[in-house]
Amino acid sequence: MLLLLLLPPGALAQSDPNERAAETDTLAAEPAAGLGAALSEAMNRSGQMQDGAEIRTSVAGPFFSGLKNTPKAGAKANVRQNTYYGELVTNVLMRSSSSFTNTAKWSYDQYRKQDKNVERRSDNFNYSLGTLLPVIVRLDGQWNWSRDKTTNTAGFDNLFAQDNKSLRLGGTKIKARTGAFTNSVHFGASIDDNQTENQGTANDLTEGSIDGGLQTGWNIRPGLVLAGRIYGTRTSGNKTLGLQNSPSSSTGDTLGVGVYYKQGAADGRAAVTRANFQKKYLDFRKNSSGLIDTVGVAEDLKIVGELETRDALKVEFENNFHWNRLSFTSKLSRTSDDLDYATSGLGLKERLQDQMELGTGFRVGADSVFVGYDFLWKWDDQRLQGATSNRGRQYNKSRDLEFNWLRTLFRDTRLHLRYHQGLSQDIAQFEHNQNDKDRLQSDFSAKVDRLWQGTFRTKMVYVYRQIQDLSIRDTRSSNNNIKDTYEITPSYTWYVSKWLTWDQSYRVNIQFTDYIYSDLESVSREDNYNKRGNLTTKVTLRPTTRLELIFRHDYNQKFNATKSGSNPDGSVFYRRDLNQTISKLDMGMVFKVIRGVVLEAATYRTRDDRETFGRVTAETTDLSGEIWVGTRVDRTWNRTMTLSALVKKYNAFGPSVTKTSADYWEADVWLSWEF
Amino acid sequence: MLLKRRFPLVWLVVLLSTAGCFFEPREAAAPATGTSVPYFDKISSANVWANLEKSLAATHAPGWEDNISQNAFIYIPDTDAETQFPGVFVGWDRAREVAFINNFYNSDVTITAQMVDDDFVIPPDTGTEIEWENVIYDVTVTSNADNSVTRYRGSAIITFRLEGNFWYIYQWRDQQGESDPTTGQLLPTMGVLRGTFASK
Repeated sequence: MLLLLLLPPGALAQSDPNERAAETDTLAAEPAAGLGAALSEAMNRSGQMQDGAEIRTSVAGPFFSGLKNTPKAGAKANVRQNTYYGELVTNVLMRSSSSFTNTAKWSYDQYRKQDKNVERRSDNFNYSLGTLLPVIVRLDGQWNWSRDKTTNTAGFDNLFAQDNKSLRLGGTKIKARTGAFTNSVHFGASIDDNQTENQGTANDLTEGSIDGGLQTGWNIRPGLVLAGRIYGTRTSGNKTLGLQNSPSSSTGDTLGVGVYYKQGAADGRAAVTRANFQKKYLDFRKNSSGLIDTVGVAEDLKIVGELETRDALKVEFENNFHWNRLSFTSKLSRTSDDLDYATSGLGLKERLQDQMELGTGFRVGADSVFVGYDFLWKWDDQRLQGATSNRGRQYNKSRDLEFNWLRTLFRDTRLHLRYHQGLSQDIAQFEHNQNDKDRLQSDFSAKVDRLWQGTFRTKMVYVYRQIQDLSIRDTRSSNNNIKDTYEITPSYTWYVSKWLTWDQSYRVNIQFTDYIYSDLESVSREDNYNKRGNLTTKVTLRPTTRLELIFRHDYNQKFNATKSGSNPDGSVFYRRDLNQTISKLDMGMVFKVIRGVVLEAATYRTRDDRETFGRVTAETTDLSGEIWVGTRVDRTWNRTMTLSALVKKYNAFGPSVTKTSADYWEADVWLSWEF
Repeated sequence: MLLKRRFPLVWLVVLLSTAGCFFEPREAAAPATGTSVPYFDKISSANVWANLEKSLAATHAPGWEDNISQNAFIYIPDTDAETQFPGVFVGWDRAREVAFINNFYNSDVTITAQMVDDDFVIPPDTGTEIEWENVIYDVTVTSNADNSVTRYRGSAIITFRLEGNFWYIYQWRDQQGESDPTTGQLLPTMGVLRGTFASK
């Protein structure tokens, strides 16, 4: 490999037996096609490289084949912030598909709802050697600079400043064949210089790193491949945190083996991956939860030297079977992960996760059925720093089962039934906390929809959901409850003509909450009953090809009630707590003035009536609304200059509308030029 | 042919006869005296936010899970938390939030919390969505394992939504860490707490 890198490009081209073919296969060989075509070709080549296609080396043609500059300037605005920005992208195309791209950016953000502004500058470049070498080689450089000035509500000013630089050289050779083996090689080296300051504390890093990897596949026989991969990385440098300075380093490696198969109706894989790393760095002192813990700590103890080690192993199996109208999929995996800190109070954290996903689907006549089952079982354990035994495992176990059944009842009429049940459980070994709990959720839905001769669509949806929230321990179980929700939604859409569409839907949502221990004197919760009805009417008008008008009205009526008593015969009485009626009228308009210029406007007005019952009945009426008017322009001149502008002016009113939300611009305007 | 004709009926019978009996939860112990967590009904955004305080004080995870959106919870960290834990907050949804709160509560901690500053004026619940701006919360965590105390105080923008019949927290956007009112020291947001538990 080193020999290949040291050889001059010309020597490689001369040694190529298909030199003639290689010459006509270069970007430089077709100067007449123009810059656009060359760029397009470069993109195609890049894609080919990803696919592993053979790229031949060549030096024919002029050294520079194209130069393009694209400056762009713009402004954005919304209710939260105003942003001004500019950028310059420079592309240089050179012989043998090599290229250089530089992107310089500047932006300034002003926040409207807080005292904060951020200035950012950056420059990124990448230089690709194209087909000059038999491997893909790239040199990437980055510089990111920012100044974030924030003043909080107490008047405290904070400067968060960053000045980060990095340079990386990387090489890749994809799908190189040696006999029955296919190899991909990756290698790289980088230098990073990061300087950060936050709350007056420096956090600087200067590091160099090297990394490399090899992936090899052995095609044992058609449809059966054994693949292995190995990857390693090493970093070394220096870190400054506050007033302390110390060497930093890290090493990591990954090893993986897998079998991939595709035989007849079945395909799948079995793979094992092992990864580990070790990092040495300066860090803030942390407590047993991993939270920074420096308050009241002596200055020289706030920063510590940390050694972090991680070992992870993953075993996976996946099988897919498709035969005629039957399919079966299965995915199983086990992951173990140990994370160990030498200094942090967190200590050692161990995790294990088993996961299984099974699914089967089949079609019989007019019916399609899918059944899925997911299983997740995981735990984590912790040995606090300095402790002699583990805390105890925190288990989480969840199972989900789902049925889907689709049937064409008759022409243009379809039925979809869905049933799902899921149970998730939290269990603390040794009762190291009191939070053991179960959540059981059951859902059933039925949907029928029909399209009547292409002009009238009707739909009926029925949904039932039950959620059981159960804390297991007596210290947490007072709020255990079962919620039953029923929802029914009939709707229709009438395509009256090409210029008129009429939609209407009505939704009723009813929820009962049954607090399991509400009969106990020590429990303050009472069962409740809640109902909401919502009628939505929408009319869409397109009187001309250039004008569209949308009118919409939402009418909501809801009440919340609490159980007040019951009869011996089982009937239950509820006391109303709140009646609420919300009526909202929307209108929207889109008008295409000329090609590339569109006028838009929208407005809504809401009336909200509330009646709250208690010792004293209170009635409240609130009015709120909003209007915005805007325009959208997209114009290009001589295929080189582009103007894109979206400008909207918003005005809103209402009792909960703040000053910054009552009057603002929403905009995205930019101008770019290509030369 | 017979199978084809009777197929739907067979499935319906199987479905209905087996519904509800696949999995069984464990039997719970009756509550001990004095352990009741008096949550409020979620009929207003103020009740929902107050319930989080009760959940923290009791380290009672179902209380937290019950008050965040059942459909699409979103957490957006402040810059400090995002920088400390790069990539950890991408796609932080209900499942991640539930995992966080369970890991946090299971780590043998005692918590005191004040989820809203005394000066904060709670906006009225109008319509089906409401935003609280600049909510300052204060959470102190004491580890029972090593008696260490860590404190989180941040300002956030909280969006509540009416889902079905009740209000839920739909989005929690941390803005910045706030200062300790006594010492003036800048404290981290709960984003740092979330990042710590999600990354280890």
